[in-house]
Amino acid sequence: MSETLLGQAVAALRTVGLNYAFVLDAGDRSAFLRGLGVTLQLCLLTIPASLAAGVLIAAALTSGRAWLVQPARAFVELTRNTPTLVQLYCAFLVLNMLITQHVKLPGGNPLTPFVWVVIVVSLHKGVFHAEALRAGIEAVPRVTLEAARSLGFSQRQLLSRVELPLALRFALPSLVNNLVDLVKMTAVASAIAVGDVTYESIMIWTQRDNVLELLLLILVFFGLLTWLVSLAGRWLEERWRMPGYGQ
Amino acid sequence: MTSHPRLSSPSPLVSSRTAIALTAALGLCAGAAHADATLDRIKQRGKVAIGVVVGGGPFGSIDPATQQLVGWNPDLARDLAKQLGAEVELVQVQPSNRVQFLQSGKVDLLIASMEYNADRGEILGHAPTPFYRVGGTAAVQKTSGIAKWEDLRGKVVCASQGSSYVKPLQEQYGAQVRGFKSSAESLLALRGGNCVAAVHDATLIQPLLRNNAEWAAYGAPIRDEILPAPSVVWARKGEADTIAAVDKVVQQWHRSGWLIATEKRNGIEPPQPLLPELQARFKAP
Repeated sequence: MSETLLGQAVAALRTVGLNYAFVLDAGDRSAFLRGLGVTLQLCLLTIPASLAAGVLIAAALTSGRAWLVQPARAFVELTRNTPTLVQLYCAFLVLNMLITQHVKLPGGNPLTPFVWVVIVVSLHKGVFHAEALRAGIEAVPRVTLEAARSLGFSQRQLLSRVELPLALRFALPSLVNNLVDLVKMTAVASAIAVGDVTYESIMIWTQRDNVLELLLLILVFFGLLTWLVSLAGRWLEERWRMPGYGQ
Repeated sequence: MTSHPRLSSPSPLVSSRTAIALTAALGLCAGAAHADATLDRIKQRGKVAIGVVVGGGPFGSIDPATQQLVGWNPDLARDLAKQLGAEVELVQVQPSNRVQFLQSGKVDLLIASMEYNADRGEILGHAPTPFYRVGGTAAVQKTSGIAKWEDLRGKVVCASQGSSYVKPLQEQYGAQVRGFKSSAESLLALRGGNCVAAVHDATLIQPLLRNNAEWAAYGAPIRDEILPAPSVVWARKGEADTIAAVDKVVQQWHRSGWLIATEKRNGIEPPQPLLPELQARFKAP
């Protein structure tokens, strides 16, 4: 039943010059759907992982201890100033090969291309989160910190109970901005043959040459994902709004 | 400071020039309406843009000393342009983007290790006389125990995006194919242990394994090539005059033995049996 419906939809689109015949091929259709799933998985893993990395790096950057600040700053500059694709190639093609050659594990190298994408994208975006959070942390008024200190807060309590909650509210718009960028960035996975939606589409269009049709689908899909992310961001902004603070 | 208004002010002059150029171009088109748009443009500009794949090796690479494109594909492209009476403009393309380069008009012709198949024949035009025949072979670690295509069932196989071997590998031999941007990344992934085999044109793998100490641990044990197909020159669909002109050149290449000489000059081994076959066919009247 749904097959005939699909067939009718494809036929209707063909009249306007769009060739979506690939959805009638079970193999291509399942490959494309799998691609959508992998992109979703990548987003669901990299969003929390990048935020965690961001909090850690921001904590190091604002710790005031030179042995923490300097390596963190070096990492931020290195990561921020090189392209993600280059980092991914370096990690997957160079680092991964070295690991495979030198670590002889019984089950082989446990780091799959998928894992490398999650690591590289999370760290790359984590750095941007860290800078956004640092701006937020540094915007916390000195008197607020003094008040907290006079209440006997330790350095760690100060960070987790006072600075981060306030910094998060300051930084939220740029964090959401970063997350929208992160969703789009997952497309680099296609470069090392991780089967995200971009990769599966490339594999289909190199056989069928229906580039325009697939790119339209990819645009709609990423548009939908980023719209959801910014929707969630706006909802959080509303929810976390503190009367009398910031606005 | 004054250069800005001066630069932007003579727009009436520019537009009248454009108008003259347009009228001239229209006049020329009307005068030379006997050929198709591409052949007209090639003749008019005295230039032809040809897309070539330079994946390293004797079929196409970049000479590290001169930065020039060298090898089989660039040689053919240069001579084709010469025979068409035009200057060549070599454009590097990838297997994953070459069709878009041709369709969008960035190149006029493709000599890009792109073999004929029916799907491609549907959307593009091609000169029917093949200039080579290419099939796929698999590079594997010598210790892998793989000896025939059937051994790849269920195994992860690296290939390049856009390769025509993906389909038979998946459907006929049940391999899990990972497609990389180009053969370079795919071969690196093979060496990184991400797949058990990398399947590419035999014309790429054979010289790589033969001439490289780094590849000493790898071999191409599968004897029969997958999907042997004729390599042809591709053009945009329906450009019959361009295609006819190109086909004449390709036939002449066979007749004169130029292709066999070029194969030898580029050190391509083993020699392709199709070339003497076609030479004999075109020599016979």
